[in-house]
Amino acid sequence: MNASAVIAHPVFSVGMTVACYAGALELHRRWRWMPPIVVACIPIVALLVLVREPYATYNRGGNFLTWWLGPATVALAVPMYRNGLALRSSLPRLALIVFIAAAVGMLTAGGTAWLLGAPRDVILSAVPKSVTTPIAIEVCRQLGGIPQLTIAMVILAGVLGATFGPFLLGLIGVWEDRAVGAALGSASHGIGTASLVRRSEMQSTVSSWAMAACGVFTSLLGALLSFFIR
Amino acid sequence: MFELVRGLAIVVAIFLAGNWLHAHCVPIPGGVLGLLLFYGSMLTGVLKLRWVERAARLLLHHMVLLFVPLTVGLMDMGGVVSRQALAILASLLVSFLAVLLTTGLLARWLLHPQPESPAGKAEAAQ
Repeated sequence: MNASAVIAHPVFSVGMTVACYAGALELHRRWRWMPPIVVACIPIVALLVLVREPYATYNRGGNFLTWWLGPATVALAVPMYRNGLALRSSLPRLALIVFIAAAVGMLTAGGTAWLLGAPRDVILSAVPKSVTTPIAIEVCRQLGGIPQLTIAMVILAGVLGATFGPFLLGLIGVWEDRAVGAALGSASHGIGTASLVRRSEMQSTVSSWAMAACGVFTSLLGALLSFFIR
Repeated sequence: MFELVRGLAIVVAIFLAGNWLHAHCVPIPGGVLGLLLFYGSMLTGVLKLRWVERAARLLLHHMVLLFVPLTVGLMDMGGVVSRQALAILASLLVSFLAVLLTTGLLARWLLHPQPESPAGKAEAAQ
């Protein structure tokens, strides 16, 4: 059996991906600054380059994992429901805020890329960059962007928020728990939300609600947008 | 184990229902339709949170694994990424700051500060 046949086999590529992910988690446990998503990809890319196989060969199996992003999106309803119960009284106003956040995020991301002369598919890949990965990918595909590029931007938006979010909000005098949660959930999805867990329960509750809601609003606005650009 | 399998089966079934709706009449992505269906059925009590809690936690906890294959795909994007690096990074930064700051300010204005938070600061700034 040659390398191509082995890598193209779903059992091999899924198995290798799971193993790399497990290894990356272990490294992340020891050295917190190592992002699992980057570390998990390195051995896979290295192997493909080494045996001179194209990405498509690996992705025949990889697609089996990517498919599960759909059910993962559905599962976001659980934190949204649970945290929604805790926030009942302020939910309508929170929804309005997150809706505006979704619109601002899409307009400014697409607008900036457009002003700088980026090609159409790059502009469209930037549009859903504030929302959680599975939803961002679906919106990106629907608009005709490049999912891989969207993922990279989504991750960077998450890391920026987790690292500098609370500090930047502090600079403009925003300290209140629910405001910080809403801002981080809308701008930095799951990665931002995870960074708040250690800070305050209210912040992470609002943040995980805002992250799911921002994803829903972005996909509604994305569906609308896809009508106009077709 | 049974709990997990039952939860996964429910989540997958809802996702497939969402996909079916997306393919037939609704322009919103199937996963998001599924999310809304799922949220609605928990609100109305058709589905119980405890049936799906473990499966949902597993999927969300290990979501990073699920986007490894697409991220590996960036290896084919080297050209676009390096040619458009400025536009990509600028769009990322501008949009990130715009969302973070407008949301933070809007939320401070629209949501009343809670007793356990440093309310003095928020109110003084308003």
